[in-house]
Amino acid sequence: MSRVDQCPSTVGKKDPKKDRASTVNGNAQKLWRSIDEYAAHDEGEFQSFLSREFPAGASEMLASSRRTFLQLMGGAMALAGAATIPGCRRPDHKIMTYSRNVPGEIVPGKALYYATSMPLPGGGAEGLLVKTNEGRPTFVEGNPLHPVNQGKSSAWSNASPLSIYDPERLKYPVFREGQGDNARQVVATWDDFRAWSASHFAEFDSTSGNGLVFIVDKKTSPTRDAMRAQIAARWPLAQWISYDPTGADNRGAGLRMAFGQPKRQILSLENADVIFSFASDDLDKGASALRNARGFGSARRMRTTNDHMCRVYAVEGNYTPMGAVADHRYALAPSRIPAAIVELARLIIDRVGGAGPLANAVASFDTRGEISPELREMLDAAADDLIGARGKAIVTAGQDLPAEIHALVAGINQVLGAPGKTVSYVPAGAEEARDGLSDLAEMIGTMRAGRVKTCVCVETNPCYDTPTALGFAEAFDRVTNRIVLSIGPSETAAKATWQLNAATFLEAWGDTEADDGTIAPIQPMIAPLYDGALSEIELLALIAEKRTADDYTRQPAGYEVVRSVWQGRFDWSDFEKSWRRALHDGLVAGTTYRGDNGGQASSSVYANISSVLASAAVGVNPSSDALDVVVTTNNMYDGRFANLPWLQELPQFGTTVVWDNPALVSPQTAEKLGLEPDPYTVKEPKAQMAKVTIDGRSVEVPVWIMPGMANNTMVMFQGYGRREVGVIGAGVGFDVQPVRDIMGTRIYTGAKVEPARGRYPISSTQNHWSMESRTSIVRAVDLPAYLRHGDVKEEKIGLYGNKTELNFGEKLGELSHTPPNESIYENPFNKSRSEPAPNSAYSKGPQWGMNVDQGTCIGCATCTIACQSENNIPVVGKTEVRKGREMTWIRVDRYFTGSDMNEPGVMHHQPVMCQHCENAPCETVCPVNATTHGPEGLNYMVYNRCIGTRYCANNCPYKVRRFNFFDYATKKTKGGYRSEFPEGTPKPENINLIPPRLREKVEEIQKLRNNPDVTVRSRGVMEKCSYCIQRINAARYEMKLQDLESMPDGFFQTACQAACPTGAIVFGDLLNDNSEVSKAADDGRSYGLLGYLNTRPRTTYKVTLSNPNPRLRKPVEDPFHHGGDHGSEGEHGAEDSNGHAVFIDPLKKHEDTGYAGSLRVLGAAVGVHA
Amino acid sequence: MSVINPDQINAERLAGLRRGAVRSPADPTLGDGSLVDDPAQTAPLVLNNRSFHDITEIVAGYSEKAPGFWWFHALGFAATVASIAQIMILYLIITGVGVWGLNNQVDWAWDITNFVFWIGIGHAGTLISAILCLLKQQWRTAVNRAAEAMTIFAVICAGIFPGIHVGRVWFAWMLFPIPNSNVIWPNFRSPLLWDVFAVSTYATVSLLFWYMGMIPDFATFRDRAHLRLRQNKSRLVELRLPVPLPLPTIKLPWRGDLVRAYFFGFLSLGWRMSGRHWYRYEKAYLILAGISTPLVLSVHSIVSFDFATSILPGWHTTIFPPYFVAGAVFGGFAMVLLLMIPLRALLPNFADLLTLRHLENMAKILLVTGTMVGFAYSMEFFIAWYGGNTFEWDAFIYNRVTPSWVSERGAPYWWAYWAMISCNVISPQIFWFKKMRRSPLAIWIVGFFVTIGMWFERFVIIVTSLHRAFLPGEWGMFFPTPVDILTFVGSCGVFLTLFLLFIRFFPIFPISEIKNVIPGASPHDYHDHDHHDAHDADAHHHKGHVEEAH
Repeated sequence: MSRVDQCPSTVGKKDPKKDRASTVNGNAQKLWRSIDEYAAHDEGEFQSFLSREFPAGASEMLASSRRTFLQLMGGAMALAGAATIPGCRRPDHKIMTYSRNVPGEIVPGKALYYATSMPLPGGGAEGLLVKTNEGRPTFVEGNPLHPVNQGKSSAWSNASPLSIYDPERLKYPVFREGQGDNARQVVATWDDFRAWSASHFAEFDSTSGNGLVFIVDKKTSPTRDAMRAQIAARWPLAQWISYDPTGADNRGAGLRMAFGQPKRQILSLENADVIFSFASDDLDKGASALRNARGFGSARRMRTTNDHMCRVYAVEGNYTPMGAVADHRYALAPSRIPAAIVELARLIIDRVGGAGPLANAVASFDTRGEISPELREMLDAAADDLIGARGKAIVTAGQDLPAEIHALVAGINQVLGAPGKTVSYVPAGAEEARDGLSDLAEMIGTMRAGRVKTCVCVETNPCYDTPTALGFAEAFDRVTNRIVLSIGPSETAAKATWQLNAATFLEAWGDTEADDGTIAPIQPMIAPLYDGALSEIELLALIAEKRTADDYTRQPAGYEVVRSVWQGRFDWSDFEKSWRRALHDGLVAGTTYRGDNGGQASSSVYANISSVLASAAVGVNPSSDALDVVVTTNNMYDGRFANLPWLQELPQFGTTVVWDNPALVSPQTAEKLGLEPDPYTVKEPKAQMAKVTIDGRSVEVPVWIMPGMANNTMVMFQGYGRREVGVIGAGVGFDVQPVRDIMGTRIYTGAKVEPARGRYPISSTQNHWSMESRTSIVRAVDLPAYLRHGDVKEEKIGLYGNKTELNFGEKLGELSHTPPNESIYENPFNKSRSEPAPNSAYSKGPQWGMNVDQGTCIGCATCTIACQSENNIPVVGKTEVRKGREMTWIRVDRYFTGSDMNEPGVMHHQPVMCQHCENAPCETVCPVNATTHGPEGLNYMVYNRCIGTRYCANNCPYKVRRFNFFDYATKKTKGGYRSEFPEGTPKPENINLIPPRLREKVEEIQKLRNNPDVTVRSRGVMEKCSYCIQRINAARYEMKLQDLESMPDGFFQTACQAACPTGAIVFGDLLNDNSEVSKAADDGRSYGLLGYLNTRPRTTYKVTLSNPNPRLRKPVEDPFHHGGDHGSEGEHGAEDSNGHAVFIDPLKKHEDTGYAGSLRVLGAAVGVHA
Repeated sequence: MSVINPDQINAERLAGLRRGAVRSPADPTLGDGSLVDDPAQTAPLVLNNRSFHDITEIVAGYSEKAPGFWWFHALGFAATVASIAQIMILYLIITGVGVWGLNNQVDWAWDITNFVFWIGIGHAGTLISAILCLLKQQWRTAVNRAAEAMTIFAVICAGIFPGIHVGRVWFAWMLFPIPNSNVIWPNFRSPLLWDVFAVSTYATVSLLFWYMGMIPDFATFRDRAHLRLRQNKSRLVELRLPVPLPLPTIKLPWRGDLVRAYFFGFLSLGWRMSGRHWYRYEKAYLILAGISTPLVLSVHSIVSFDFATSILPGWHTTIFPPYFVAGAVFGGFAMVLLLMIPLRALLPNFADLLTLRHLENMAKILLVTGTMVGFAYSMEFFIAWYGGNTFEWDAFIYNRVTPSWVSERGAPYWWAYWAMISCNVISPQIFWFKKMRRSPLAIWIVGFFVTIGMWFERFVIIVTSLHRAFLPGEWGMFFPTPVDILTFVGSCGVFLTLFLLFIRFFPIFPISEIKNVIPGASPHDYHDHDHHDAHDADAHHHKGHVEEAH
């Protein structure tokens, strides 16, 4: 695309939408392709070139002979052919395909997988396998060899391919000429920058780099460390600030206090029997989230009644994924949590002893405020439980809590004998341990004083993501040369004198270090989409290298840089071989640290901790005048993912809010403060705006309720309210930076919250909190009940005198109270799985099925994103979500149990996708046969045949069908919402007045992201989960190619299954007795959701298990017979006092297998209408 | 004593010298047409002792005269509203079904509500025509033609909605079993497909039945036009302004009767009033009535299968077929009354043909069918309780009945349910009072309420069942958009436009059939003393008028 007007009549008139460069400062005068062009803007050959329609020489064609014509055409066609070969964008250097069996050449239509890794924000990395179709990265899976991922992936990595094809990303360097209002933007080339930088940075050689600042993202990468070393070697006085905008690394700091040196904590939750979580964010945040989620799933999973299940205690202010599934949870304001940890430490140390000075420190610690008897009882019971499970117990605290408390937690774990078993400590880099925000705060004075001459922001956005109180943006203006490397537009890039376009990690070379030290290469999947884009290390290498006037354009290639760093770092006998091996495997074998106790004796650790503990602060109980405010992150992290629509539309944990970051409070607090949002039953549910003031800093945000939060506590999320990011992210949500203090503290006390003017619409995908006593939906029992009854099958005489067997899970639901549904027609799927009708389709071939273990689902919704990526599911925008038109094929339903919104019992998660019913209600009602049944048990959706009557969706009891009300797939998403703010409210608008039907088409570049194996659905067509039928078919071809008799179990995975970090989703052949899914389906806990409807779903769910401590709550051992008095049980419905699903049927006691009595489907009904 | 010629009076009336219908004083023996308690007596079906010629003049005369200003205004308004529907439909097809308020929880809302509503309206016509014909209920003659026309127009309106509600209108032909090389057929198990067949059959048979009944009347229209042309009494067509302004009227250079003669000549298929024609006609009419009768039951039963065969609580109900049929008859009669009562007041002499007896009969049907739907509503609760299915119980108790301000679990759409109950079950109960049954105004008001109530019935069934189905995680709401509302309003305009055109150009009453039920049709007419008395009374009455005229 030429950015220079070739038509003389429009020279100087630029469409601001078409060209980012001109919108940066609103100066839309003249744009120049290069400095040369700028220099020669009046006269010269270049001008004549621009005014000509065709390049010089083009008109010579006119006088050519037939021979010349044929030559030219032949050449043109050859070039055109070469240009359309997808390989033209392939990276320059050979990278190793993941599978050695695949030939080196590309087979058209066949995807190739390459191993790479993704640096995580704040440090750490994920090892990935990236699927490339004809050279385009389209899908991301976890690298099975990488210790963090082991085949799983996170929402961030799943969404990463979107960042390449973002049409709004920076495409070329832009130079800002002049200062202030006279500044004008000049479109430059990378060569211009190279030329400029060669001479510019040479100026610092004389001053040893005084006045030179590098602001980089906190990241763990050996090559970047080497770049830093190079820079430090060349300019010893240059400042290098590596910061994490979300705040200091409290855990890292705490571990440094405990061990005297930087450490990282690596949890091995799979070894844990008892886990105590204090607002733990281990499952959803940080470098180890995937590892922890996997370990947690493993510790909680009960495959059979012989398995062991860990017990989880949680004390937290807001719901965390771990707290949501905890067996005992206590909601406590964040500022009070340290006191609870100290109390637990005291209880444990008193009983175990041997903690030396720590015992005294803990004993003398003033908790300043009593701990409620209820909490004390819980801590007391938990302390015994933890001690009883010594060596298999772990206490973990959230990153938000103060560093001293993390030190104490490390001490408790020492006492519990956790190191080496459930936790290990590995060395951390020096840079990692520094608190970058305080470095920034120190440097800001120098910047303000104008003593910083050049500031290089490398993929960082401090003008947005630092606390407003820091005043970075103003100080940044005082820097003479502001060089910003950025992938997309950002608030910092907008101020840059040199705005440089960066390559994404999928387009560049690099390396990462995972939380456990594993070093993995980053290999490009595709050459940078926009020529010249440099990666972080390429830019740093360019700057660090001395270049002479002769070779100022010399660009160190990322490939060479990484290789040379590795050559220095690894002592490999055959570098080439090992290098290729590392590229192929996606990691360097042997770099993983062995966990240890920080290399220190326990006694010295105790001494360290006891010395810092005195400085730990414990707040006072928050009140409605002085709230606790937690400023934390969600999927947006610090805002860097704001322009990725998948993440914007991913329902947020607990609230399922999308496209916004309302501050969360408990329902009771909202009521007390007069901040209650509208119910969803009004047309446009709006949240009340509130003014949050902390120490004089204030911000206005909408307030939403979250049941189960501690009272007088508010949670706010960073990363929203971006101003310069692109149409998707700009203006979405509210910027909470103004309330943060300059240290970027995460937990504030004494905040004042009062209603502000205006109400603001919020969209969420799930509006209803409660299961409405329909406890057969998510069935939950206590562990002893499962251990006792789990393997017992009950024989039941049905309506027609036939015998059926009900397993444990089914006995908990309606089926034990209804006669079996017998079809009067001969149906191939009529008989049970163990007894397929002879010669029926059901008796042959693979019969696909899925099983979801609700007990291990943590509600992270990664499956939703993976499915979205795999199946080309469009996002619809906030307005459409508000109308209930989200398109996700797999959703995670969230239910709270109990009757009090303020103190809900448990938060249940239930991923719901198409259940692929054998008796599918959707199939019979479709008038045009657009949804039909396949011989392998799949419920097909034939898009070509669908006319869109939507009857199937109405008749689907699971409501998993999604209708394209508009042409969502081909239209740009505008994330925002019609803002209905009073005049003068500083809410930047991202107007979504434009309904999808009138939106612009997506740009061609965005279509490159689509999975070519999946149809892009048009308007008016129904769609739904297909069990990834394209993967099934691909696996079938592969099976034939490999000459296999049948499909081995695990030969392929569905996208959701592959992504699920806890391994809660299992998929495979139900007829294969040895397959994971058939074992799971045979387990006593498996039941069909709404199975009483005789839909015979192929997806089954496992009953959620709870493992309560008998000291705190007597587990229900017999979920079928609840004491003697059935009548009174009817009164309180189907949930016992602990909010657990219990089936109560007053008629059941009569052992009535007759018709009328057994038709009472749910005992809950009695409680409801009695 | 001057000879009173009723025709003369009629002619004067038709010529506009007398305005409006003349109310007769109550006949001491025959009454004002309302039902009498004495079982030995039957109320007359036609008042004021109309002769054969009177009937022809009243019905045909209206069609031949220039219409009143009200008609132009009404047509202009209705056509404007109808054009709104067309604009909305065009907008919908261009942009997508998303312009309605539907979503993934509530996939059907106003579209199917309107479809069932209009189909229900279309029921009274065939019921009155066919079932009452077979049962030899002669009072049907007063309303059957208009009701049949209403049926056709309502089915047209109903047909719009399933047609446009599909996501890809341009593929709607896939609903029909069109032989194709891919051997892909529609899904014969789907109630939506049954709908396609049921509604198209119903529309076809109703149209035939309507047309068939009009053939003798078309012939009458033809002959009258032809006679006037022969006698050179035919006038040129005048273009009247729709407002009374003192401007010269424009005369077109052709005679309206010529158009009429050709038009009705074509439509009457060569009808010559011969005995053989009448013989064949009566047979065919009876056969069509026989064919139509099961259709009355089948169409709405099949429409109810759209819901009853599903598994959704609130839809999955075996009572639906009879309940829907009763509801359709109920709603259809309400619509007949809603249209005919104003016509009776607006059009001269129509009150003689559509008497209080007719209104009273129809009020009774409203009472009966309204109570039947009330029974059906209550049975739904009984079955929900008796069946012991929580999902069903919740669907009825919480999602429909319980107001959200009474219980936390109460439904946001409670008002729709209570609107339905008050309009459909409570309001017709006033017809237990004879006075109310005889008050055209009261009947009209109830008819209006019932029409609203029947729309809400379908809304309640569709939306309240869908918005809170099995899994609370997917509960949602439906809110209509302006496009939803305007499409429905527009469909009312389509209906009204067609009906106004019908009353202007077609025989609104079955001339030949009414002639069968007037006393003059009786072979004993001239030996009937009562009749002579009545004649005398009439004579006095006419005399009075003549004197008045002087």
